Amino acid sequence: MKSLSIYLTGSLLVITLIAGCNKKLEEVPISSLTPIFFTTQQGFQAGLDAAYAGYRTIYGPDSYFEMAVGGTDEFRAGVDGTGALVRYSSGYQTTDGTISGIWKNCYTYINTCNGLVDNAPALGGISAATKAGMVAEAKFLRANYYFILVQNWGDVTLNTSFQSEPTLAASRAKMADVYSFIIQDLKDAIAGLPAGPQTTGVLPGKATAIAAMHVLAKVYLTRGYTVAKQADDFKNAAATADNIIKTAAPAAGVKLLPDFGKVFTEGNEANTEVLWTVQHTPSLAYNGSSTQNNSGPDNLYVHLFVSRYELQPGMQRDVIDGRPYARVMPTRWLTDTVFKDKTNDTRYFKSFQSAWIANNAATIPKDGSGKPKYAVGDTAIWMPGIELTAAQIAKYRYQVLPPSKYVNTLYPTMIKYFDDKRTDQNAPSIRPIIIYRLAETYLIAAEALIMDNRPGEAVPYVNAIRERAAYPTGNVAAMDVTAASMTLDFILDERSRELCGELSRWQDLVRTGTLLPRVRQHNLDGGPNIKPFHIIRPIPQSQVDATISGPAYDNSRLFPGWN
Amino acid sequence: MIKKLTRLSIFFMKTSMIALTGLLVFSQVMFAKDANSQITSAPVSIGIKNETLKASIEKIEKKTHIRFSYNSDDLDGYRTEARSYSNEVLANILDRFFSQTQLAYKELNNGIVIYKKAVKPEESVVINTAILVESPLNANITVKGKVSDETGPLIGVIVKIEGTATVVTTDNNGNYSINAPDNAILVFTYVGYVTQQIAVNKQSLINIRLVPESKSLNEVVVVGYGVQKKSDITGSISSISAKDLQDVPSSNLVSALQGQGTGIDIQKSGGNSHPGSVPSITIRGSRSKSASNTPLFVVDGIPYTGSLQDLNMDDVASVEVLKDASSTAIYGSRGANGVVLISTQRGKTGEPKVTYSGYAGFDRPLAKFNVMNGEQYAQLKKWAYYNAASANPLYTSPDDPRILTSGAFGSQELTSIQTGRSTDWQDLIYKSGFLTNHRIGVSGGSEKTQYDISGGYYRETGIYSGQSFTRYSIKISVDQQIGKFLKIGLSTLLNSSYTDGENANPLGQALRASPLATPYDDATGALVGYVNGSANQVWNPLANILPGASIEERKRLGTFTTAYIEANLAPGLKYRLNAGAELDPEVYGNFYAAATYNNQGALSTANNQSKYNYNYTLENLVTYDKTLGQKHHLNFTGLYSLQENEASSNSFNYNSLLSDGVQYFNPSVGSNLTGSGSYAKYDLISYMGRVNYGYDNRYMATVTVRSDGSSKLAPGNKYHLFPSAAFAWNVINERFFKNIPVVSNLKVRLSFGDVGNAAINPYQTLGGLSTVTYNYGTKNTIGAYPTSAPNTNLDWEYTRTLNAGIDFGLFKNRITGSIDAYHEYTRQLLLPETLPPTSGIPNTVLTNVGKSENIGLEINLSTVNIAAKGRDGFGWTTNFNITFNRGKVAQLANGSTVDISNNLFVGQPLGAIFDYKKIGIWQNTHADSVTAKAYGLTMTGGQSVIGTIRVADINGDGKMDANDRIVIGSNQPLFSGGFTNRVSYKGFDFTIAATYRVGGILTSAVYQSGSFLNTLQANYNNLNIPYWTPTNGQNYFPKPTNALTNPLYSSTLSYFSANYLKIRSLSLGYNLPQKLVKAIGARSLKVYATAENPFVLFSPYVNDFHGIDPESAGTLSENTPATRSVLFGINLTL
Repeated sequence: MKSLSIYLTGSLLVITLIAGCNKKLEEVPISSLTPIFFTTQQGFQAGLDAAYAGYRTIYGPDSYFEMAVGGTDEFRAGVDGTGALVRYSSGYQTTDGTISGIWKNCYTYINTCNGLVDNAPALGGISAATKAGMVAEAKFLRANYYFILVQNWGDVTLNTSFQSEPTLAASRAKMADVYSFIIQDLKDAIAGLPAGPQTTGVLPGKATAIAAMHVLAKVYLTRGYTVAKQADDFKNAAATADNIIKTAAPAAGVKLLPDFGKVFTEGNEANTEVLWTVQHTPSLAYNGSSTQNNSGPDNLYVHLFVSRYELQPGMQRDVIDGRPYARVMPTRWLTDTVFKDKTNDTRYFKSFQSAWIANNAATIPKDGSGKPKYAVGDTAIWMPGIELTAAQIAKYRYQVLPPSKYVNTLYPTMIKYFDDKRTDQNAPSIRPIIIYRLAETYLIAAEALIMDNRPGEAVPYVNAIRERAAYPTGNVAAMDVTAASMTLDFILDERSRELCGELSRWQDLVRTGTLLPRVRQHNLDGGPNIKPFHIIRPIPQSQVDATISGPAYDNSRLFPGWN
Repeated sequence: MIKKLTRLSIFFMKTSMIALTGLLVFSQVMFAKDANSQITSAPVSIGIKNETLKASIEKIEKKTHIRFSYNSDDLDGYRTEARSYSNEVLANILDRFFSQTQLAYKELNNGIVIYKKAVKPEESVVINTAILVESPLNANITVKGKVSDETGPLIGVIVKIEGTATVVTTDNNGNYSINAPDNAILVFTYVGYVTQQIAVNKQSLINIRLVPESKSLNEVVVVGYGVQKKSDITGSISSISAKDLQDVPSSNLVSALQGQGTGIDIQKSGGNSHPGSVPSITIRGSRSKSASNTPLFVVDGIPYTGSLQDLNMDDVASVEVLKDASSTAIYGSRGANGVVLISTQRGKTGEPKVTYSGYAGFDRPLAKFNVMNGEQYAQLKKWAYYNAASANPLYTSPDDPRILTSGAFGSQELTSIQTGRSTDWQDLIYKSGFLTNHRIGVSGGSEKTQYDISGGYYRETGIYSGQSFTRYSIKISVDQQIGKFLKIGLSTLLNSSYTDGENANPLGQALRASPLATPYDDATGALVGYVNGSANQVWNPLANILPGASIEERKRLGTFTTAYIEANLAPGLKYRLNAGAELDPEVYGNFYAAATYNNQGALSTANNQSKYNYNYTLENLVTYDKTLGQKHHLNFTGLYSLQENEASSNSFNYNSLLSDGVQYFNPSVGSNLTGSGSYAKYDLISYMGRVNYGYDNRYMATVTVRSDGSSKLAPGNKYHLFPSAAFAWNVINERFFKNIPVVSNLKVRLSFGDVGNAAINPYQTLGGLSTVTYNYGTKNTIGAYPTSAPNTNLDWEYTRTLNAGIDFGLFKNRITGSIDAYHEYTRQLLLPETLPPTSGIPNTVLTNVGKSENIGLEINLSTVNIAAKGRDGFGWTTNFNITFNRGKVAQLANGSTVDISNNLFVGQPLGAIFDYKKIGIWQNTHADSVTAKAYGLTMTGGQSVIGTIRVADINGDGKMDANDRIVIGSNQPLFSGGFTNRVSYKGFDFTIAATYRVGGILTSAVYQSGSFLNTLQANYNNLNIPYWTPTNGQNYFPKPTNALTNPLYSSTLSYFSANYLKIRSLSLGYNLPQKLVKAIGARSLKVYATAENPFVLFSPYVNDFHGIDPESAGTLSENTPATRSVLFGINLTL
């Protein structure tokens, strides 16, 4: 009897144990964010911030820089610009990590934007106006991601709504559809965004209507050259740009600075000429990499143009002169031909470093009597930008390099991104990156008018930029050009003078169909190697390999040059 | 009402342990009787007549199959009274038998020994007089002595004079006394021990130590939720004894298991040998791509989730590796990767015994990496700059003096070239490591209480400064019999460990530093930061060695406690509550000063992490054991268990410290504080039933059903049932086999079953968002965006295994072994699928895709080549094992046969290597130029293909592109295994343990892009390879060029034959003679010297490519190289 009661108690215990424990199989995540958060009001704001942050993975690191700056008529490979992509050698293949990273990041953040746009209607606890403004921001950002894709890859996958279900299939949309989608997004954005960066209450880096207009003008212009072109693309581009310059900009307090050099002054990234920036901050916990090791989505532009000056006599690495990543060096065409006029046009010396100041006493050369030829604080290297005779050079105590002496380890450094507020000579930059500025709007207007066969109307836009370039020492009148000069080639040259190194050149050359001739003519590394299929980026192998469901996703249809 | 019940049940659950304890204590009061254990507590139904005691014992023997061991003379004269016993506990029956006799009994080695109680001397004399009468012709002496084994005195050992009927048995203290002719031979026999013969030779004192019969069929093997006699096992199990483990002194158990059994593949992860690293272990190959392939570890019956580094291998008594589905199915969802059962030492009845074991020694790198010296590097650099020059050649030849002044060489490098100076950076950072291990233990116990207590200390310093691993451990186990029906026990493993410098890897810098540069400034003699001439990318590796410059500390407290309460509820029916709890808090911190290679002169950084994990298991076990009729033996085991695991952690980083002295302890003196944290919890609820049925010791069957419910899976998929069945036939016990003396054991086994694997992370089915920081001017924000997609359809991964095995013994078990063949079929393979980037979902999505298959054959052989006769005899034994495993992906769910992004290829193993096929080097010949041109390859300038790696145009489309990649092999060996030879003579024993591996491809990252050791760019030092030049026609290694960060197709340079034979250890030991040992008051003393990893043989990677150690699970990296150590040790028992 006693043992029976034990069995009964025991059985009861086991049964109750089982009943109580089934609850234990329910999962309650505490520390991680799950998709449901994305549909809340807090999640909506966080998603929008992330969509902005995505641009730090494109503008700032090495990859998109090599895609946009290297391998053009402006810049060739520096000694450490070892990527095959900038040289168009046969090693440039679909497996190139440079292109696959950009491709992937664009789609990831497009999906974020899609989620924001799709979730907005059901979102409560937020005013309709605020919501509409945020959706307009998301559309601005989405349009820009797609614009990067379509300029580099042509026909690309067009995801118009949020994707939360895993898929192993993908297909390419017609370029025309992608452009239509971009244009609609930009129109919606213009309608919903605050006027411009100078508008009260607009935080630095935020999307604005004037930035969206600028992009829209550029999109019309770009589409006008493609198979997807519409009859009025160049007209629309010109009209949109003209509207910015004549109406929108004055209304929003946006205007050209008097001095070209001030546009790039450190700390002046929110100047009145700027339309949109990608932000960075001295608050390192919120910058790309808090340890300043150049690994995160950091602003590396401060390093990428820098040559190995530090190996020269009298020199060592310092914060002011930068860390020599030596990815690209300017072509002789850029330094000598495009910037032939270095007197009236002040932009060459405002864009390039010409002197390096000695900072290393130990390596300063000594004269016959054993005395250092110069002291720390004196010039150690000078690049006058013009040819000098050997006799002239011999007169100087320090090293003088005319253009003929430029080598891939030592050349003029682009200074638009210099940053001497960094914590360390090797640290990445903490400066915001200017993506769009009003000066380009002028050149877009001019290019569109030329392509629309109205070269005469383009003159004032070009001259506005050129006259500003004379400030303060040049002869303004000598900078003016006439309708006779209004050719596409002149505009491309002018773009180089104004915008060289500003992350758009490769796309400009592809847009205008001039990549092949200009690279062949001006780029010693890429010239011998470039082939017609290089005017488009290959679909990354990671995309080809992963599309294992449905039709193959490959390069064969449009570009048989790529596999 | 329902709510109330639920609350009530939760209350019950929480208090289950307390309640059960109370209940069982209560039952103990009701059933209080004398102590006894396992066998004697079995119920017996038997009719006893008024007959001789001997006849009754024989009757019981026949009925129960329990072996009795006795001297039949002792039983003479005693009779039993007629009585019918029904389901009476055997102990009660025996007590009744012996109550009026001079006899006592004891359960030992699964049998029962009957012996005479200690007799008073005068009684003894009487008996001995009788013997004297029987042998009148010889001069008799009284021989006395003690019989013991390694653990203490043996009671009831039969001592017989050979050729006579004269027999005595040892008493409670193991002592015997026998009157024997002075030239007689004494024969000592004891169940489970090797019979020994000793010549009296006029000695009056003969102490003897009996050795257990190894490979005895009565050997008890630990199986899931219980123990079984080896002869009753139906599944496939590898048993490894403590002795085998101790052949290879190691810091952790996994290292010691290497090469010890079939189907167990243990390799260093990435070849990493830093102090405190635990190698990776897989059982019978890999079957899962994403879910873990690591087996389940069970320590003293409780699943163990902690670090294997926490287990002191000296505390381990035995290790059983369960391999087939029948053995592992009782672990259901966690059995798919095999189960490693670890039993720690428990106390045994007997005198307290004190043991000490310890060793100390040192280690050195097995070899240095073969990098260039100054002269070779200078030449490489010249070639690299010459080859990089663009279309219009800058230089006339590599020896063009303009290269020297082009900025290619640093100032210090130029000085070195002039003076012939060369720095060997490896010499500067390597040092001797020191290893030491000590353990002291006390164990013993009375009939009712047994205990085992030990303390351990292990310390190992690395071959670089700042690397070390230190562990202090304490183990306590107590078993207590309470009354007749209740037993409780507790075992706790406590340790605290300190790992320093776990990520220290100065080799990354030391191997890349220019040999033409020095660590010191030529002018000032101060340590430099960036090493001269290394493109300002290599930081002085000596910088980290400065005191306080680089700190990495992991402090861990590990506690693992198991307890049980066992109650005999009724004859044959047992209830057992097993409870185990694991708590292992851990803190980790690092600090790197600005001038270290970690920060390369930028901000100083610090990171501080803390973790808190707990894991508990509650198991309710019911077993019922019954023998029906004469020959049917039935055993049922039922289980209900709950396991819960909770892990939380946080980590914070800061940099730019005000004072380096603060290290990682105080973020308020740093800037830019960032952090992260996590919390995860999972539960597993299981029900299991197992029936073992045996017929006449000939046929055995096991059927198991387990149902597991896991919180990790989505609702609807949480529960699954895992069935298995096994059958064994002891052929040796068949009557027709009795007359074949050559065969001493033969058993055939067959098993089939389903096991699961849900070793995925909690919350993985839910999807997730990632965070990212951003700012708008001075307004800082944290963004969040979707990066992982939910998958609510996620299900278990299942493996179905068919196993056929045979166990055999020949020539009185001089040769024993087993052969197992298996087929594993894994379905619903869990895979983190890489989606096309256009999906917008950047992270992989865990899905059930496809099927994989493993077939294999395992052979295990142990031979006694020469049996030692006593301590002085010459003996030689060999253990040999070999494993063949063939794995492949059988099917992919979406119907495709190739999934490149996830590296899955139908028909290929899971470790397939998919790459271009290298066919040589583009040579500077007309033919090659024509071909290269036809392929559209760049032929001019710094990126000309001449002298670079040539890959095959596999698809023949006239282009070299990604479509030319194929599966070029895998890391799967043709076969692998290990062997151990032991030779003993006059107290010396010599052991050689080896592992080997034949076939498969070793991927050495040292040779490819990731390591930056073989870039041939000459921005930093390079492996000393015979690179291509236009004149040497090299067809294996490409040319150097400064124009490429890495040679094109550099991955094709990293594949090597994975063959090797590695001598794991050579050990020479000496057991001191008893006389000497006695003199110092000890029971035994052994001294030994061991050389670990003395040789690597037959490795093409080592022999032809100057590799250091070919052993690696996964890709071999340049992390801490393998070491060779020499240890001196001592084992002492008091």
